[in-house]
Amino acid sequence: MVETVPTATNSPNVQLHQVGKPLIRTDAPNKAYGNTLYAGDLTMPGMLYAKVFRADRPSALIVKVDTARARALEGVRCVLTAWDLPDRLVVTDIPGQTGGKTKNTAQPILAKERVRFFNEPIALIAADSEEIAASARDLIEVEYAPFPGVFDRAEALTAGAPLVDGDANVVAAYKIRKGDTERGFEEADLVIENSFRTQVQEQAFLEPEAGLAWMDDKNVLNIKVSTQVVEHFRAIADALGIPHNRVHIEAMYVGGGFGGKEGLTIEMMLALLAYNTRKPVRLILTREESFVNHGNRHPFTLHYRSGVKKDGRITAMEVRLIADSGAYSKLSPYVLLYATVGAPGPYKVDNLKVDSVVAATNNLSTCAFRGFGTMQACVAYEGQMDEIAKSLGLTPLEVRQKNFIHTGDRNATGQKIESAVWSEQCAIQALEALGERAKGNDVVKIGRGLACYQQSYGRIRWFKDSSEAWVGIEVDGTVIVRCAVTDIGAGQSSSLAQIAAEVLGVPMEKVVTYFGDCTLNPLAGTSSASRALYMTGNATKMAATKVRDNLLEWAGRHFQVPPDDLQLVEFRVTAISDPARSMPIDELARRCAADGVHRHHLAMFKAPTSEGLDPETGQGEVFPDFTYGAHACEVAVDTETGEVTVLKSVGAHDVGQSLNPQSVAGQIEGSALMGQGFALCEEIIQRNGVLVTPSFSEYLIPTSEDVPETKAIILESRSGLGPFGSKGMGEPAFAPVAASIANAVADAIGVRIFELPITSEKVINALARKASGQVKMH
Amino acid sequence: MLPRFELYQPTTLPEALGMLSETGGNVRPFAGGTNLIPDLRGGREQARKFVSLAGLDDLRFTRFANGRVEIGSLTTVSDLHRSHEVLRNAPALHASATAFAGHMVRCTATIAGNICYGSPSADLLPPLLSLDANVTLASAAGLRILPLSRFNLGYKQTALKPGEMMTQISWPQPARGTVQLFYKLGLRKGDAISVISAAVSLTLKQMVCTHARIALGSVAATVVRAERAEALLLGRELTEKLIGEAAELAADASAPIDDLRASKEYRLHTARVLVRRLLRQAAEGPGEAGSTRRSTEG
Repeated sequence: MVETVPTATNSPNVQLHQVGKPLIRTDAPNKAYGNTLYAGDLTMPGMLYAKVFRADRPSALIVKVDTARARALEGVRCVLTAWDLPDRLVVTDIPGQTGGKTKNTAQPILAKERVRFFNEPIALIAADSEEIAASARDLIEVEYAPFPGVFDRAEALTAGAPLVDGDANVVAAYKIRKGDTERGFEEADLVIENSFRTQVQEQAFLEPEAGLAWMDDKNVLNIKVSTQVVEHFRAIADALGIPHNRVHIEAMYVGGGFGGKEGLTIEMMLALLAYNTRKPVRLILTREESFVNHGNRHPFTLHYRSGVKKDGRITAMEVRLIADSGAYSKLSPYVLLYATVGAPGPYKVDNLKVDSVVAATNNLSTCAFRGFGTMQACVAYEGQMDEIAKSLGLTPLEVRQKNFIHTGDRNATGQKIESAVWSEQCAIQALEALGERAKGNDVVKIGRGLACYQQSYGRIRWFKDSSEAWVGIEVDGTVIVRCAVTDIGAGQSSSLAQIAAEVLGVPMEKVVTYFGDCTLNPLAGTSSASRALYMTGNATKMAATKVRDNLLEWAGRHFQVPPDDLQLVEFRVTAISDPARSMPIDELARRCAADGVHRHHLAMFKAPTSEGLDPETGQGEVFPDFTYGAHACEVAVDTETGEVTVLKSVGAHDVGQSLNPQSVAGQIEGSALMGQGFALCEEIIQRNGVLVTPSFSEYLIPTSEDVPETKAIILESRSGLGPFGSKGMGEPAFAPVAASIANAVADAIGVRIFELPITSEKVINALARKASGQVKMH
Repeated sequence: MLPRFELYQPTTLPEALGMLSETGGNVRPFAGGTNLIPDLRGGREQARKFVSLAGLDDLRFTRFANGRVEIGSLTTVSDLHRSHEVLRNAPALHASATAFAGHMVRCTATIAGNICYGSPSADLLPPLLSLDANVTLASAAGLRILPLSRFNLGYKQTALKPGEMMTQISWPQPARGTVQLFYKLGLRKGDAISVISAAVSLTLKQMVCTHARIALGSVAATVVRAERAEALLLGRELTEKLIGEAAELAADASAPIDDLRASKEYRLHTARVLVRRLLRQAAEGPGEAGSTRRSTEG
């Protein structure tokens, strides 16, 4: 059964026995006991240790790289620079996809003539010990010549700005033209215009990049690595000039990704060193190296102009977005597309104009990060909603209720929303859960913030996304799921076990999921874009259902009842009409095996596709579907010191159907923390391209002392495209958090801070501006 | 990565002092290591010979007797945090130990390490300075006692001579009814480096101030005392007007810089705010073991 057409129903369309229950995740016990091996725990006999030599400046010409002294050091087995590599670039576009690469996304593996960002890799070292590798790194000398850089995204777009690469700094640009904004603004009773700025955020996953690579006796290059994407084997093979079937990537359990392990991180470095030395090579990045090694969150400038009627209805919206891609484009065009399509948020805006551009600069690369452009837009459109509400004397909920998009409406690109839109229910429940308002005083002000969102799940339709999974039942009634999904800590492999257990009627502990292996498992695509459960869950459900059909066909003949009279529950097949006709599942599997019944199946799930957007109007279908929900919070602001304390935090989301409510709550709680960091304290700061927040001493993520307990409210419309009507949740839970905190601070102090993060100092400065009357009053 | 270094592991104080003096002064004491290890790893610490003080259990004590408080130099921050006597007798110091870094660091970091690192953002220094603490420095040649106010000489510069280590911190028990308060402002609530911190120690008799100490952290190259503000308070009734004037003078005593954590202007503003807030609190509730860390807990 493939549920490509959602059924908007409030009641379960199947009787669920294991799905929707907080079962103990298959990965949990070993992680809790410390038994789980991560990529950095792996060793092999004769293993070499790798280090990366990086540029100490953001923009320069490379005159000479002298590795002679490093190569001469005893115990050094290999030093590679760009001059030692095949003259191939590595494609960074659309990780894990089979086709449809766009131009100009390739990036040098190691810098050759030019350095384009701070700490760009220049040389790779493999040595007998980590210490020797580090000493060799200190012996590499680079002669640079000055080359102008550009570090401001707006400046990068001006004529005469230094070019980062090619003949323009425009990496991508989009526009949306919908309805008639001119008329929309004429009809408006009030026009509200604001500019917002968001900062660079670091994923700060628990496990820095790590991996081990070696050539085996089949001349296959093996890489065990911490990654979100095993399909990088193709890019690696192409860069090395070897066939695709000779690169074997196995993703270990991953200690968090958040998009930072979606692009190639260290796989290429490991591959080159293992390929050249023909010895096992391990590379584990330090936290400081990790900061500069993967793309961070795109900083955005978001200019919004909204026309509204007195009752709060939006009549027109004009949006201008500028993002910074850093030196190499990576996934920047797509991040910008997400922001562009998501610009109006979960609201029906019939007269819409969006112009967006992402600029190349000599800053650190930006790439995929949970929320992927959409969450930056949320900070702005939800800030706008509150500013509108304040100007019109409406509550934040009222102004949103006037504008929410509903099922059947068309969104920014004209795509009809097919699934449930429960923004309003989520907002109401989140606000109610805040309970009684804390008491403030003359100094400490209390504020509340609400933010709603629209976040896609599943990849862009013209990527033509698909996922495969294999399910088989053994003659002892145990079940194997094989699916190359990566498990990045959100329970990806456990969810597939839960689905197979549900469909085949076996306890979850009788299911083993083999995941994350690009060669031995069917390819499933990335764990990104909130697509893992949607895509791989559907494929697994399809495969398990086919196995179930085969078993029940045999059982129907055996018990002389129609197959749809049979149920597979609690490890038994039983006729509903006559429960005496029943046998345990292991016996059923054994008897089926003896009769030559197929007990396994390989299934492919294909996402809905389209052929792209009209370049002039930006109209077309971009995403499979969207998740909707809300986050609400209450803050205390000390108006003398500027300190912001989050007192209460509630996420309420329509997840369609929760596979495992504990995992959903985990996404909501983790999002609350990460979103609070983005709102209040996290910021990658660069001065003329040089990173000045290089470690956790300067880059501050919230601690357990900073966050309140998060309340997770799970609503289930069962209207999503995922298995059992589920929707994606990895990014949606995160999307509205920072916006809700920014709104709460504005509510508390009566003045908005338009630039994240909202530090104590910015609060004090905003209050000073307010006191001196410099704040624009509507 | 951590460079190779030599670590001597004495088990007695004389042994340790011998090792510190023998090597001609290029060997450094190593207590909790919560600053040294990151500095070694980050290439900011050049020394490669250390004397571990981990075996000197005799230097880990808190004593409250005969009108004096004596704290052994190897007392950890979490020892201070867990001590009811510290909470009762030195509530500002207790508050600073509570606000100090995170649990893991508190369990390892020592009081002397915090003082000897010489950072103006050291959390324990403002309370200790406000208590008129003395430090005892030992070397193979003998002991000397120095007021803490003369120990921290500049940014990461101390009076510690080669071959010397700190063995004890002590101060006279303040008069009954002395209010001791501390407030730390950071960019987050847990595991924070202070943007600014303040401690006051104030004795009031019928609202008249008979003793005043005000110390500020992260506003100059060292932790500083606002001596003009202290002098202003002495012998006067603690009115709202006086508090405001003292807060102004305290801000004048600071010479903050712009850095990644905050601007000079913000530090001047909050120096005023914190001193005013702590003095007001002192005026409201003398004798309380009151100590604040952030407003919402107040």
